Amino acid sequence: MKIKLTSLMVENQDRALAFYTGPLGFVKKHDIPVGEYRWITVTSPDGPKDVELALEPNANPAGKAFQEAMFEQGIPVAAFEVDDIAAEHLRLKAAGVVFTKDPTPMGPVTIAVFSDTCGNLIQIHQRA
Amino acid sequence: MRYLGPVTARAFRRLCRARDSLRDVGDARVSIRDIAREADISPFHFIRQFEAVFGRTPHQYRIDSRIERAKNLLVSGELSVTDVCFEVGFSSLGSFSTLFANRVGEAPSSFRRRYWALGRPPAVQDGSLYPACLALMWQLPAAAAIFEKHPVPEL
Repeated sequence: MKIKLTSLMVENQDRALAFYTGPLGFVKKHDIPVGEYRWITVTSPDGPKDVELALEPNANPAGKAFQEAMFEQGIPVAAFEVDDIAAEHLRLKAAGVVFTKDPTPMGPVTIAVFSDTCGNLIQIHQRA
Repeated sequence: MRYLGPVTARAFRRLCRARDSLRDVGDARVSIRDIAREADISPFHFIRQFEAVFGRTPHQYRIDSRIERAKNLLVSGELSVTDVCFEVGFSSLGSFSTLFANRVGEAPSSFRRRYWALGRPPAVQDGSLYPACLALMWQLPAAAAIFEKHPVPEL
């Protein structure tokens, strides 16, 4: 048994694809039209090529309510690991990304949190 | 893109509250300037910060929310198109229909007819998307062929 796919709900799939392949630097793997929406996945050029992140529409009202509540409570819905959090923080800020938490040491990791412009807070962390 | 400083916890909470106000269609006539004032942020910074955090300007966000609410009301079928128009904060049926058509790709009445013809509300249809998506991941050519044969009606 292995983890092959994980997913994030996004408010708008066009915007999500632009954000996740733009400032975040992921690579588009699938983009397949399915009726009103699309099956979109991205992979990380820095990580295993066969682990995909799906950018799913948040069209289900239950999903939307969950997403908004997590956002308003300031809770990130995903965490990505980086090698140099200070450099990533500067790079992302220069690309217009807004952080709700600048890099902060938290015991064994340093974390930072930003908005993905699609209704989610995302955490990045660097291991000490 | 322009450099933006970090959003403090306080400013973040205010932006979230502002988003709630913008989504509340009852407030459709409150100006963006007033919402910025309520959030205690200058209108200029409010618009910039809101867009950087939520991916849309406050104005776009409000319009999207109203169209979204209109779609739900149209599908639920209890109100006439005119009632829906007023319910989501428009005062002119013409401007509502034009805006709706621009965003959704068809007039409110034809949107409603098509969804009724499907015989199920959008929430049910959207929910049915997820298993299909998973099927797509595993059997891309086969599943894609199925979707070509039996397309989910497009909006």
